[in-house]
Amino acid sequence: MNLERREEVNFYLCISPWLLGFLVFILGPILASFWFSLTRWDLLSPPRFVGMRNYTRMFEDELFWTSLSVTVRYTLMYVPSELIGGLLLALLMNQRGVFGIRGLRTIYYLPSVLSGVAFVVVWMWLFHPEAGLINSTLARVGIDGPRWLTNPQTALTALWIMSLWGLGRTALIFLAGLKQVPPELYEAAAIDGAGTLPAFWNITLPMITPAIFFNLVLSIIATFQTFTSAFVATNGGPLDSTLFFVLYLYRRAFQMFTMGYASALAWVLFVVILALTLLVVRSGRWWVYYEGEAR
Amino acid sequence: MSKHFRLWIALLLLAAVAVGCAAPPVTVTQPLVVTATPAPLPEGAKIVLRVGTGDSGEGLTPHLKIIEMFEAENPDIQVQLEPVGSGDYYARILTQIAAGDPPDLLQIGDDAVPLFVDKGAFVALDQWITSAEYPLDTGIYLPGMLEPGQWNGGQYLLPKDYSPLAVYYNKTLFDAAGVAYPQEDWTWDDFLSAAQALTISDADGKTTQWGVQLPGAWTTGFEYWVAAAGGRLISEDGSTFLGAMDSPEVQEAVQFYADLYNKHKVAPPPADMNAFGGGNSEFDNGVAAMRIFGRWPQAGMKQNPAIDLGIASMPAGKVRANVLFWGGFGISSLSTHPEAAWRFLSYYVGAQGAEVWKDWALPAVASVADEAGLTTDPIEGVWIGELYHLAPRAYVSTPFWGQTADPALHRVLETVILQPDADVAALLSTAAADAQKALDDMNE
Amino acid sequence: MIGSRSPLHRIALTALLWAVALLFLIPLLWMISSSLKSNYQIFEIPPRWIPNPPRWENYREALTVLPFHTYILNTAVISTLTIIGHLLSCTLIAYAFARLRARGRDVLFVVMLATMMLPYPVTMVPLYVLFQRLGWINTFLPLTVPAFLGSPFYIFLLRQFFLGIPRDFEDAARMDGANLLQILWQIMLPLALPAMATVAIFTFQASWNDFLAPLIYLQKPDLYTVTLGLQFFRSTYTTNWALLMAASLVTVLPVVVVFFMAQRYFIEGITLSGIKS
Repeated sequence: MNLERREEVNFYLCISPWLLGFLVFILGPILASFWFSLTRWDLLSPPRFVGMRNYTRMFEDELFWTSLSVTVRYTLMYVPSELIGGLLLALLMNQRGVFGIRGLRTIYYLPSVLSGVAFVVVWMWLFHPEAGLINSTLARVGIDGPRWLTNPQTALTALWIMSLWGLGRTALIFLAGLKQVPPELYEAAAIDGAGTLPAFWNITLPMITPAIFFNLVLSIIATFQTFTSAFVATNGGPLDSTLFFVLYLYRRAFQMFTMGYASALAWVLFVVILALTLLVVRSGRWWVYYEGEAR
Repeated sequence: MSKHFRLWIALLLLAAVAVGCAAPPVTVTQPLVVTATPAPLPEGAKIVLRVGTGDSGEGLTPHLKIIEMFEAENPDIQVQLEPVGSGDYYARILTQIAAGDPPDLLQIGDDAVPLFVDKGAFVALDQWITSAEYPLDTGIYLPGMLEPGQWNGGQYLLPKDYSPLAVYYNKTLFDAAGVAYPQEDWTWDDFLSAAQALTISDADGKTTQWGVQLPGAWTTGFEYWVAAAGGRLISEDGSTFLGAMDSPEVQEAVQFYADLYNKHKVAPPPADMNAFGGGNSEFDNGVAAMRIFGRWPQAGMKQNPAIDLGIASMPAGKVRANVLFWGGFGISSLSTHPEAAWRFLSYYVGAQGAEVWKDWALPAVASVADEAGLTTDPIEGVWIGELYHLAPRAYVSTPFWGQTADPALHRVLETVILQPDADVAALLSTAAADAQKALDDMNE
Repeated sequence: MIGSRSPLHRIALTALLWAVALLFLIPLLWMISSSLKSNYQIFEIPPRWIPNPPRWENYREALTVLPFHTYILNTAVISTLTIIGHLLSCTLIAYAFARLRARGRDVLFVVMLATMMLPYPVTMVPLYVLFQRLGWINTFLPLTVPAFLGSPFYIFLLRQFFLGIPRDFEDAARMDGANLLQILWQIMLPLALPAMATVAIFTFQASWNDFLAPLIYLQKPDLYTVTLGLQFFRSTYTTNWALLMAASLVTVLPVVVVFFMAQRYFIEGITLSGIKS
């Protein structure tokens, strides 16, 4: 066996757990959901084949367009802020010689741990129109804050503010990236007399492009599927202003008992996310630098 | 560094092996009856009945008590309660039903009954009710207890617990404002003038006390206002929303409700449309004199030092009306032990079960309520009295309420509450058309 | 970010970091405050930071009204297995994607990413049917076995970090006759420690907080996890906020502790020169 061939065999041996899992646990349900998207199915009685009807119906479904628009707008808001905010937070977490840095990192990470139902209370108290922390802080500087959660113009922004509390997750990945930058590079730069900012620009940023690439791809995939925060905090309202695509899909599946239509929605979303991801992955060739890439 | 790391990995591996060997839940040691065909029972084996409920926390205590009593009397049956808190219950049982593996007994709310029954998820109970061996006297119930469990003339579910609506009021605030407590025969006009008299502003015009805390865009609760205005949301035969949802009566109901928020300003504006009842907490904080809701938070209110609690019936509009919220149990059509399931069900919803339930919620059995003195109690008596004024629910006319009129009505209510200048008639006519389009689509 | 710093600089930096920390502490502090109130005080307007009187008994009640020790034990078993599974499987798979050349590799990689793009609600039912046929309902198997077969998120993450490691060391090791597993174990893993720690932290947290999967697959109350237990403070029309808050805070502690501990792998000094020797 030649070297090339052996490498290929090794590759498939190494990924065999994933291949097995993919064939056994993932492929079947994915194909099944595609089949459901061609049926009418209320989950209670057997599915009925309807061809492409679920897909053509979407064009007339106002909430399909509403939820798609909410999701796209939110993604445009959230993804850049997640990347920039996460990187800034990671730079803070990476400081040396600061008192209690391990405690600080834990604190920065904390809000992303405290998700779920209990968080609703925090949420309502933060955004309460009269007594909430945000509006009472705004009032102190003479700004009359909006009725965040009952105003269709501000509810999505409120959700965005809330989600920024969870930046610790993204920051942690950036931190791991920063930790992988060899200190020798900075030492060399310091000898050359480069300042902090040029060092960041010329060393740090290129060296963490793999982490940036990862966070960008994952952020797109995850933000397009935003569900929990909206499900718990706003449930799509007011007046559908936070009706995320997957929230609408969940409602269709388990509250309105139209699993066939929900599956069709899922496949449309799948195509959108896949197209965007491929675009980003392609672009990666131009801007992601891998120290150990095979040439 | 790496030495430590490898040590950790090794420890984790060891732990995995240890856990794998020691902890039984990791391996399949709990055989369950999941096959579609009933396996023949070995001599002396118990039938395992699975019971699905959306109740949770302290609400599980009565379930467990009844199960314990039942098992003591029926040694051949073992009952396994499978509880899921809150709204996620439906996602779970739907998944189980789709997979052919639901619990033998399922708890369902009144609004979901028509769809589940229409799609064949439950077996008709009539033959069991009249059976010679395990009959059930359906004459024992308070009014309105059986209807929510019926569909197409058959009885499919039986009552577990229920609540109508009522007006909670804070006697302290009524006394301070010199307003008389509500009378049993009060009307919308009386209600409005009481609410206005109890709404107080400070010198800057800022409201410091509200007349009534309303439940926001709560569609299923809103049906009371429609019924009291003499209207209905769907035609009697369940075929159309046109001419019903957009009728003058429904317009009047929506207008009256919206005016309480925006014209008379006697109701605090919602703080969060998603939180149940608009995220308002004014009544609990002692700054709203009345609150319209079901019986669920009553126990907490009794403990609240800011409230001297009174309960009044719902005011009459054109007619006296109320609506019922109801949860019941039925037997899954996929159950392999229908007879055992019926024996437990009839025990649960009969007098023995009600005897336990009366300490946790209103009992459905009339004699149990009477003997416990609930019917004459100044607070509980009001709730039970409201059962004599129940209007039929719109969703007993169609299995597709949740897919059609409910979202349309929710949008109307949100709009009129949030936008004071909304055109009620136009909104309702759009809503009726939307709901109708969805209904035609569902019936296709 | 390098070089000597004046004490003044350090003090200013410390102050800045703690000021930011205060912002991140707000939700936690409010949850603690809420957990010490009685249920009707939680939505009090204007809100009160210091509960009066503080109800410490909420904690005792929250942890005794339900068998939380059982839930915590169940969740710990599931989380531990999931972490082991992910660390073993994802490392190996990620290494292959990062380093080994093979036909179909890039296509498979995109396929792997694509499996993350179909929303969970629509695959939930067929997946349930599958596990039911396998007889895995009411066991921890549906929650743990898939972890040993890799997870796209972590595979992708580790691949990125492996790609960031220069090839020289491996080439040297290969010359010395090291095989693939030896290279992975002795060279790649120590260099990717921060990424591995991230995988462990995320896995633990995700598994600890997972709600939908336990909800569907675990139906017997004695198998319930912490998140399923927390649901019991809510019912359709009412929620016992104070107890929910207290129980949430207690059950989140293990995640915080694990995070604090795992940070040791983020320390400075994983230098490339240190490996060579």
